[in-house]
Amino acid sequence: MNKETNRQVFHVVVGIITLFFLAILGRGFMTAAVFSIIIIGTLLMNLRIRGARIFFVNWFERLFEREDAPLPGWGSAAYAIGVLIALTFLNDSAGIAAVIYILAFGDAISTIVGRMGRIKLPYNDKKTVEGSLALFFASLPAYMLIGPLIIPVAILAALAESLPVLEDNLTVPIVCTAALLVL
Amino acid sequence: MDTLTSLALSINNPILTQIGTLLGNSYVFAALILCLIFIAEKRNGKRLKLLLSLILCIIVVSLVKSVLMEARPCAGLEWCPWGYSFPSMHAAIAFTLMIGFVDKKSFPFFLLFALFVSFTRLNLGVHVFHDIAGALPMAIVAYYVTDILWKRYAPEKMEGGR
Repeated sequence: MNKETNRQVFHVVVGIITLFFLAILGRGFMTAAVFSIIIIGTLLMNLRIRGARIFFVNWFERLFEREDAPLPGWGSAAYAIGVLIALTFLNDSAGIAAVIYILAFGDAISTIVGRMGRIKLPYNDKKTVEGSLALFFASLPAYMLIGPLIIPVAILAALAESLPVLEDNLTVPIVCTAALLVL
Repeated sequence: MDTLTSLALSINNPILTQIGTLLGNSYVFAALILCLIFIAEKRNGKRLKLLLSLILCIIVVSLVKSVLMEARPCAGLEWCPWGYSFPSMHAAIAFTLMIGFVDKKSFPFFLLFALFVSFTRLNLGVHVFHDIAGALPMAIVAYYVTDILWKRYAPEKMEGGR
């Protein structure tokens, strides 16, 4: 498996674990857990930037992190930040689960399908129409969580993921959370 | 009320309360933040970037506060500060400062400072843990967006660092 596939498998596995613990332990516990993970993560990030070699962090970076990441571990940090945004801004567990589902499954499937796609998006030559459509369709099972609201949320998530700005692990949960707050 | 908030509230120390009240004063807190930036960072470019990220953070947090309008846990009590609860402005500012120093040796100090500021807000009973947790992603996103804009638009001679 190449690094990008590893990343997407990691996305899905972490998403499943997060959804499992959200269902079992609830929103309060998950908020505290993800908050702690981000705090510890920033400390590890600081140590890595300053040249420290931490076995499991180096192993993790080698397997899962993008070469062009602005900071060591940034992709995973952004994922955790995205999850924390959903956990803190939304009150309803079903909405939170839907955002995590889209972030975990939609984004991963979109990346895998998008890399095989041929039709480039006119505003972003790194993304394809097939990838955006894959995100939309892969997000639809979240209908079981939020009902028909999934249609506008999935459209907005696909649009957010395709934009050439920011990290998609951030744009997707921000846009989905905002949509669920407004709709 | 959640366990973490209850735990912080249960710590009854007059010195801690005094420090918390002092940090709760907006003018004192702003002066302290500015002092920390000017002491810990020598490069003017990076200082400016930190200030811009703090301004962006304050704008976004104020907007979110006024849209969500979540009442403070102390609402109705005489000593309760003005304004809404979610997310905590003090925590968001301290976390923005913390993330601005993520590449520095002084980072552990800023991490502890941010956690201490957050703790004082819980200890005073003016926020719940949910407000603190909501402030963290907003602070990181505000700094990240400022960093991207800085790299794109700042003059080359303004060394802003990471």
